[in-house]
Amino acid sequence: MILEAKNVEYTYKSQKERKVLDNISVRFEEKKFYTIIGTSGAGKTTLLSLLAGLDSPTGGTILYEGRDILTKGLNYHRKHHVSLVFQEYNLIDYLTTEENVKLGGTDNPEELLLKVNIPQEAWKRNVMKLSGGQQQRVAIARALASDAKVLLADEPTGNLDNQNAMEIIGLLKRTAHKLGKCVIVVTHDKHLASEADEVIQIIDGQTERNTLGIK
Amino acid sequence: MNGFNLAWRSVIRKPVKSILLFVTVFTISLLLLSAVSSGKATIQMQDDTRQAIGAGLMIEENEADRHRRMDELSGQLDHKEGSLGGYHQEKIMINGVENWITRTDNSFETLLVEDIEKIASTEGIADYNITTVTTAARPVDFIRIEDEDVDQYSDLGGVSLIGNKDMSMDSNFLSGNAFITDGRMIKEGEEDVCIISAELADINQLEIGDRLRFGNCHDKENSTAYVAEIVGIYQVNQPIVPYMFGDTYRSENIIFTDLDFPEKVDGKAGDPLYAQAYFKIADVNEYETVKERVIGVDIAWERYDLIDNNGNMNTLSANFNEMEKYSSILVGVIFVASLIILFLIFQFWMKSRDREIGIMLSMGTPKIQIIAQIMTEAFMVAAVALSISFLAAPMMSDLTADYLVKQQIQSAEEQDLLDEGKVALSYEKSEQNVVGVQTEITSGMLVQDVSSIVLLITVSVCAAGIVILKRNPRDILQEL
Repeated sequence: MILEAKNVEYTYKSQKERKVLDNISVRFEEKKFYTIIGTSGAGKTTLLSLLAGLDSPTGGTILYEGRDILTKGLNYHRKHHVSLVFQEYNLIDYLTTEENVKLGGTDNPEELLLKVNIPQEAWKRNVMKLSGGQQQRVAIARALASDAKVLLADEPTGNLDNQNAMEIIGLLKRTAHKLGKCVIVVTHDKHLASEADEVIQIIDGQTERNTLGIK
Repeated sequence: MNGFNLAWRSVIRKPVKSILLFVTVFTISLLLLSAVSSGKATIQMQDDTRQAIGAGLMIEENEADRHRRMDELSGQLDHKEGSLGGYHQEKIMINGVENWITRTDNSFETLLVEDIEKIASTEGIADYNITTVTTAARPVDFIRIEDEDVDQYSDLGGVSLIGNKDMSMDSNFLSGNAFITDGRMIKEGEEDVCIISAELADINQLEIGDRLRFGNCHDKENSTAYVAEIVGIYQVNQPIVPYMFGDTYRSENIIFTDLDFPEKVDGKAGDPLYAQAYFKIADVNEYETVKERVIGVDIAWERYDLIDNNGNMNTLSANFNEMEKYSSILVGVIFVASLIILFLIFQFWMKSRDREIGIMLSMGTPKIQIIAQIMTEAFMVAAVALSISFLAAPMMSDLTADYLVKQQIQSAEEQDLLDEGKVALSYEKSEQNVVGVQTEITSGMLVQDVSSIVLLITVSVCAAGIVILKRNPRDILQEL
C-alpha cells in the first residue's frame, strides 16, 4: 500500500459547514490504475486534492507508505510523493515543450516526450502552440519526469476528443502497469472508468456514510 | 530547471510585463537621481554689486546659512535663556508679556580663519587678504564729515573702520577706485596704523604721522580710546558704497586700518569679525582651474558664497531659498508613489500568473521560492533599467534642478511683490541673477538610487506576494 485516506473528512467552511467527505477510508497500491467516479459535487476532486496534499482534511489523515503526509509537510509530499495532471493541462505558457517536461525534474526530457508520442519538431516549440491532446501528453510527461510513485489526474480527458482521450487512457494504463506507478484518476468518463483496475465510487459523501463502492 | 533559468525565460518571453516594469523602474530611478542631485546642486549666480577684482576669488558669509544656523542653535536651546556657538537668547518681560531677545556675537558671524587658510593653501593661490566688517568707531580727537541737512539723531555719530590683513588687496584699492595720494598703504603685520580720506584730513588739518584717537561708539562714557597713526591719505574716484545708511558710513568717513584695530576699538579684542576674504590667483591663465580646486577644498561651503571676478557665485542648493527642502519632499513623494505603483505592478504580475503559481505550488515548489523567482525577474529588469537611467540621469538632473530653481525664483518674486512697501530693509538688496545650475551625479547618489530601488522592489514584491500566496494551492488551482 502506497497511499491511504483514513477516516478522512472535509468540510467547506464557506458553504455553511457542508461536509463534502464524511469518514472516507480508501487504500491505493503501486502498479494499479484507479478511477474515482461520482456525481458532481460528490467530493471526487476534493478527495484527489487531499491525496495530492493541495489541502488538508478537516478530519482523518492521509498516509503515504504508512506515514502521515503532514509529518514531512504538504510541500514535501507534493514534491516527492505525487505528481499531478489536470484537466486544463496547466503547462507554463512561456516555456517550450521540452522545458515544461524539465520542470518535472528530469534533465532528459526527450525520452519522456518520445514515450508520450510528441513529435520531435514540437519539442522546441512554445507549448501553447501544441494541440490539446499533445498538451495533455506533455503534462503527463512532466508528471512522469518526477520520481513520484503516485500519479494523480483530475479529468485528464475532459477537454479532449475521443481519439485523444483513448490515447491518454492508454498512456495512463501503461504508466501504472509498465512503469509501476500508482495512477489515480478522477473522471466522469465511463469509458475511462471501465479501463481502471479498480473503480472507487463516491456517492454523496455528505449523506451516505461509508458508501465507497469498490468494484 | 532552477529559478534563475525560469526567471530569465519569463523576462524575455513575456515582454509586456517586463517592459512595464522596465519603464517604471527607469522612471523611478531617473526621478530619484534627479531629485537627489537637485538637492545637492550648485546654483551659479551673478551679482553685479559683489565682485572679486582681477584674477581673484572672494568669499563672504552666506545669508541663508546664517539664518539656518541661528534656527538650529535656537532649537537646541529649546525655549530657554542661554548661549550656544555665538548665539544668545534671553527672555524679557514687557508689560507682563514674554519677549525674547536674540543676538549673535562675532564668533558666530565671522568667516572662519581655518577655512580661509585652507583655501589660501590651495595650489595656484598666490596670496590672500582678510577684510573686517565695517566697524563704527567714535572719533575722540577729530571731527567727522556730516551732511548738515540731515538730522543726525538716529546716527551713531561715528566713523567707519575697515581692517585689512593686506591692504593692497582691499577691493576698493584693487579696483583702482581708491588710491593713495600721500604716504603709503598699511603693510601686513603693522599695528595701530590707519589711512584716512583726503576730505577727513582736510577738515581736521591732519598729516602723515599724526595720531587719531578712537572710542567705542556704543559706550561713549567708559570706553578706552585707542590710538592709530596715520600712515597714508587716500582719495576715491567714486564714493565707496556705504555699508549702511547714515553719515557714520559715508565714503569720506571710512578709515582703513590694520586687521586687528577695529575689534580693539569695538571692545572685542581677540574676537574679530571678518566679513570678506580675497584670494589672489598666481597665474591668470589658470583662473578656472584654480577656481575648481578652490571649490574642491574640504570646508563647509554652505557657510559661504564664493564670488569670482565676474560676480559669479556658486551657491549650494541648501542656501538657495528652499530648494533643498523641496528636493527632499520630491524624493519622499517619488518614494511613496513608487512603492504604490510597484506594488500594483507586482500584484498584476502575480494575478496574471495565477496559473503558473498554482502549477509551481502543485509541484511542491515552496512559496518563498516562487517569491524569490519573481524577485529575480524584477531585479533582472531593474538592473537594465538602472543602467540606462544612470546614463540619462545627468541630463534629467540638470532639467529638474533648472525647473526647481525657476520655481524658487518665481516664488521669491511673488513674495517680493507681496512684501513691497511692507518690509523695510536697512541696506540695498543686491540684484542676483541665476546664470546656471550645475548638478553632479556622484557614486554615492548611484548607490543610494540602487539601494532605494532594491528596497522598493523587495517591499512591493513581498507585499504583493502575501496577498496571492496566503491562499492554499487548491484555491488557486480551482480558480483557473
